[in-house]
Amino acid sequence: MSRVFVCLVAIMLWSVAAQAAPDARLVLPDFAGLEKKATDTVSITLDAGLLSLASGFMNSNDPKDATTQQIIKGLRGIYVRSFTFDHDFVYQASDLEAVRKQLEAPGWNRLVQTRSKKTHEDVDIYVMVENQQATGLALISSEPRELTIVNIVGAIDLEKLRKLEGQFGVPKIDLDSAASAVGDKPH
Amino acid sequence: MSEDLDARLRDALRPVAPRSELTEALIARLGGNQNLNAGHEPGGRHDGKDAAPAIAAPVSRVPPTRRLQRPVWWLPLGLAASLLLAVGIQGAHEREQREKGMEARRQVFEALRVTNQKLDLVARAVREESKS
Repeated sequence: MSRVFVCLVAIMLWSVAAQAAPDARLVLPDFAGLEKKATDTVSITLDAGLLSLASGFMNSNDPKDATTQQIIKGLRGIYVRSFTFDHDFVYQASDLEAVRKQLEAPGWNRLVQTRSKKTHEDVDIYVMVENQQATGLALISSEPRELTIVNIVGAIDLEKLRKLEGQFGVPKIDLDSAASAVGDKPH
Repeated sequence: MSEDLDARLRDALRPVAPRSELTEALIARLGGNQNLNAGHEPGGRHDGKDAAPAIAAPVSRVPPTRRLQRPVWWLPLGLAASLLLAVGIQGAHEREQREKGMEARRQVFEALRVTNQKLDLVARAVREESKS
């Protein structure tokens, strides 16, 4: 009888803890208005099941596939919304209001913020940290003709993500120095 | 003339009582059917009573045992069709899963490509910042 009671209490505590833990998944707005105005739209919604399925179709002998497999191993979701326009600033800052509001919630920490007055390319990178481990990443990039939101949910190993850089034709960057150089900059 | 023809036709088509042999043959046949249905007591005996005369003959010329052993041609055909259907469904399911998996794989690469592209923007901004 006492064992059953202990089990019940453990289950209740676990469920309360699970509810209390901040969720790194952002509720992305519909963006139907932006989709109509955009000339090119990328909308990716990959939950844990699809990530697992995708991993099964990767060749572990291929270096790019193997690294990607390692990266998505601990992930529970990847969500991307990207819109390209044929005119400058078709979108409004208010379109991102709902997303930015969610990133003010406890658990989210701004890792990098860049503002370019010359090219108007602004990027914000947020990381959700739990027990000294990144459990989520959010990236908002607003350019004159492009708006991109990336939300990665799950245990992200930034080292592994860095390994992948360059494999898509993108040069390697140093996120640590980026954070230290830009993080404290007044905007 | 026509009256004569009419009278001859009536005469030819008038109802006639069946011959006694026909009645006997019918009774005999009925008795044979009962024997086949019962299938226990050849000779047409049921519950100790005389149900039909001993002259009862089977209706069909094919013996009952041979009729039971008639080859069921549709059984292997049905099994083969079921097997083919099952293989087809399995194949379609596997093909669908493969297409879904390949699409998910493509989307993972696309998502990481977009992410890395934006990280590159950060890198460039940092480089420009450090230059100035």
